[in-house]
Amino acid sequence: MVLSAKHLKKSYIDSDQTITVLTDASLDVCSGDFICITGKSGCGKSTMLHIMGLLDAPDDGELWIGEKKVDSLSSDAPKIRNQDLGFVFQFHYLVEDLCATDNVALPLLIAGKSESEARNRANELLVHLGLGQRLKRFPNQLSGGEQQRVSLARALVNKPKIVLADEPTGNLDPLHSSEVWDMMKSLNKELNQAFVIVTHDAEADERADVVYELVDGVLIRK
Amino acid sequence: MDRLESFFLKRYLKNSKRNLFRFSFVFMVLGIVLSVGILSAGLNLFQGYETNLKSLLLDSFSHISIQSAYGDMISPTELTRIKGSLADRPEIISLTASLESSLIAQTDAKIRAVNLRAYDFSEEFPYARYISEGSYDLKSKELIVGHYLAEELGLVIGDTIDLSYPRLDRITPLGIQNNHSSHTVAAIYRSGYYESDRSIVISTLEDARNLLMLSDGYSKIEIRLTDADKAALFSREYTHIIGRDYVAISWDLYAQSLLRLVAMEKWLIFIVFSFLVIIAGINVISAVSTIIIDKTREIAVLKTLGAKARSIKKIFLWQVGLIALLAVIGGQILGILLSWFVEMQSFYRLKGEVYFIDTLTADITWTNLALVFVVANLLIFACIHLPLKQIEDMQIIDIIRQRN
Repeated sequence: MVLSAKHLKKSYIDSDQTITVLTDASLDVCSGDFICITGKSGCGKSTMLHIMGLLDAPDDGELWIGEKKVDSLSSDAPKIRNQDLGFVFQFHYLVEDLCATDNVALPLLIAGKSESEARNRANELLVHLGLGQRLKRFPNQLSGGEQQRVSLARALVNKPKIVLADEPTGNLDPLHSSEVWDMMKSLNKELNQAFVIVTHDAEADERADVVYELVDGVLIRK
Repeated sequence: MDRLESFFLKRYLKNSKRNLFRFSFVFMVLGIVLSVGILSAGLNLFQGYETNLKSLLLDSFSHISIQSAYGDMISPTELTRIKGSLADRPEIISLTASLESSLIAQTDAKIRAVNLRAYDFSEEFPYARYISEGSYDLKSKELIVGHYLAEELGLVIGDTIDLSYPRLDRITPLGIQNNHSSHTVAAIYRSGYYESDRSIVISTLEDARNLLMLSDGYSKIEIRLTDADKAALFSREYTHIIGRDYVAISWDLYAQSLLRLVAMEKWLIFIVFSFLVIIAGINVISAVSTIIIDKTREIAVLKTLGAKARSIKKIFLWQVGLIALLAVIGGQILGILLSWFVEMQSFYRLKGEVYFIDTLTADITWTNLALVFVVANLLIFACIHLPLKQIEDMQIIDIIRQRN
């Protein structure tokens, strides 16, 4: 088991009104899993993913990464995000001032790796993802699909236990969207890399090993 | 600096054109350069004023003067004895006997009170370097006149001036009887110390004795030292050596309070001008706040990837700090150029009657350069640090939700 979310609860207060998005959401992710979470807009899919990624804190429930119970507010949360988790967002969130290689090298530099080591590893991964000709390009010089592939490379560069992707194809046309799905799926098989993907994309049902739907704050296996 | 910080700093410098010439940075840099320049120039000029004044005080007057404790003249025998007793003192550069008295100087149209000093010109004349015109090799009935005194009395070299010594022992029904003597102006004395330049006349000992009706003797012995700052210490020693009939008076007895006042003014100016740097710091706070707003998304990305707030703060601190550091150095260069310009210009001169000296000079010392550098950088770095605190409070999730 690489990640286990147990009985997560989360609610927000919006203009004196309490909106509960997670009532009792639980999910177990094992190495090599390719899991998609679907659901209506605003049902709490992204919130679930953010809690699993230690970007947000649940009101109740537990989160385990490997054998360790974790908490987004703890001092070692940044280290866990760096070492054990990889993130892909709908908007690529690449650093505009850095080229593709440097963007991918960031997690390794944060982990304390040397610049040359980080750049070499980043280049290897980008070449592997078919971006060998785009290493020195800045984000604004890349297409949407390429940006998302760079973002995927950045998520994988530190060899995380799990990659959490929030609508990774939400901003792409069908062609590029399909490219990104293919890439995630092949990396999942090739590296035995666990993926949890929150998506609206209809391809999820075809691509995922397991699909969960978030209904009334509870994850239901489809 | 850890690897992440040095990585970003290198990338930042690589794109220096894009990063350094941000609109908000231009005003930040200008503010720092101008404020540090003014602070630096102010300190250089006040340091110059202090150094110049002290130097003139020490050069225009003896460092230690030996006088009779009872106001008597020093006889040639006593002079020889005193010279002998201080002969083996290595700190003494020169020991010159002089005669001094207050007199009245008169030309055809004007009259002024003056201070006569007389030296033996066969020996070394200690103030030779202040002779701005003419020759100090005085012959009988020749005088050296202070620059401002000459201006006031309309004297040039070769003109005649009458000196009168009021004889208080000869008061007649027609008034006080004076001794008169006519002299030719042979040289102009200009030390830059206003009080001295507007009152001094220098003559030979023989002429002075004739005018003052003295057969021999000296009013004081002027001693110059290798280190004038030790004058107070040596003056106490000399008083013991030369005997109780004489007193050795150190220069700082009459000039130290003036120098302390000038030094205090220098530090007041430094403090006041430091406020300019704080005002420039407001620009820095604004520029850093702008850059944080611009880079909010990148900050969120770095936090998501596991960078600690402290590390992200350092990235910004290095980037803005480097520009600020260069701006402070630029300001110091501007300060040196401003000081140099003020020193070189000729359209404004100090009023000697107010400021004691009439020339503005800058004294650029390593200590003051270091002081301005440290103080300016401390203030600016505090101003950079202040807005960076926002980074600690930024929640990744809020930034991601805003975008979504």
